[in-house]
Amino acid sequence: MKKVLIVDDSIAVARQLEKIINSAQEFEVIGQGRNGAEAIKLCQQLQPDILCMDMNMPLMDGMTALRSLRQLFPELKVIMVTSLGGVGDKYTEALKLGARDVISKPFEAESVLKMLKQL
Amino acid sequence: MAVKFFGQFLVEQGVVNRDALLQAVDLQEQTNLKFGEMVVDMKLMTIAEVERVNLAQRSEDLQFGDMAVKLGIITAAQVQQVLTTQRNNHLYIGEALIKVGALSPEQLQKNLQAFKQDQQPYLATTIEIPSGIPHQPMWEMVADLTYKMLTRVAKIPFRPGLCTLVDKLPERPIAAGLSFSGAVNARYLMAVTENIRNQIAKAILDEESVDDEPLEVLDDAVREFINIVCGNVAAKAAQLGFTLEIDPPETYSQGTTGMDIPQDWVGLVFPLHSFAGESFELVVLIANA
Repeated sequence: MKKVLIVDDSIAVARQLEKIINSAQEFEVIGQGRNGAEAIKLCQQLQPDILCMDMNMPLMDGMTALRSLRQLFPELKVIMVTSLGGVGDKYTEALKLGARDVISKPFEAESVLKMLKQL
Repeated sequence: MAVKFFGQFLVEQGVVNRDALLQAVDLQEQTNLKFGEMVVDMKLMTIAEVERVNLAQRSEDLQFGDMAVKLGIITAAQVQQVLTTQRNNHLYIGEALIKVGALSPEQLQKNLQAFKQDQQPYLATTIEIPSGIPHQPMWEMVADLTYKMLTRVAKIPFRPGLCTLVDKLPERPIAAGLSFSGAVNARYLMAVTENIRNQIAKAILDEESVDDEPLEVLDDAVREFINIVCGNVAAKAAQLGFTLEIDPPETYSQGTTGMDIPQDWVGLVFPLHSFAGESFELVVLIANA
């Protein structure tokens, strides 16, 4: 079973994602964080296989965290979850920084699971 | 389903992979020169003159071309010449994907059609903004996407009222807002009643009832709703050639009660009337208008 960490400053989005991801047998959500700094700390503690992380968060945003995470955990598969996915520059910047994919908000359960299964 | 850019759509559909897309984006970046690069390339300005314009732009909010004219470095006709050359040489992502061998011209045409169909729900409808307000198309787009997301994401059937310029904000007990910067300097606010907040929370959390949810979660759902709207506004703005940054959203504990419009700012109110008979508002505060 793949271990998934969710990092989003929105409790509502994190809850929605957790419900979707836990509905698939092959994934298990092992924790939640609220900003980029927590993402780094929780990755060290929990060693997830997959990280679903928001881009736009207070304290440390997702892009800044992604830069550090690529160096600290090169094997970690990161999916960015964002309302800014349709902004071409943000989307391609996330891919350049090593994100495997970008989920745009609002998202549908089907597309989230499809993306995770393709990793 | 959200506002997307064409490259993202192609990756999602499995038509191209992320490496091919990044290759095409690299090619675009090499080909699509910025105004300051283009004027040097066209030998209308030197690098030192470009730096002079960049420096002057730090103390006055003027576009590069306008500033270069103001400083007497180039003429208005030359600005037009540069803009035309930029437009004529612009490499779109679909063409770039063909150039890097990731897409055939036939695939491009077929997928452009599919993309248009996918984005059909986000095509703009006409909304009237009071005259004299700068960046009118931007505020029309903001209101239009808010209306669409209220129906599709928050699942609130409503009827929009006429947009008006106000001196004082309508008072609502709950409000969430975020700031826009970049092409425009403004603040987006959603001012709602408790019942509308709960309806938004139900939709965002995908729950039948939110009666047992703590206030923190209900407020968070409204913040997330405006985050989704404004992220999609930024995506639409990017399609129109504007860069729009958005800050993380925040909740105002007193709602809009006692909230003033800052000096030199203007307030636009877009009234919203739910089919259940409640009124709430989208408010846009615009700086230096």
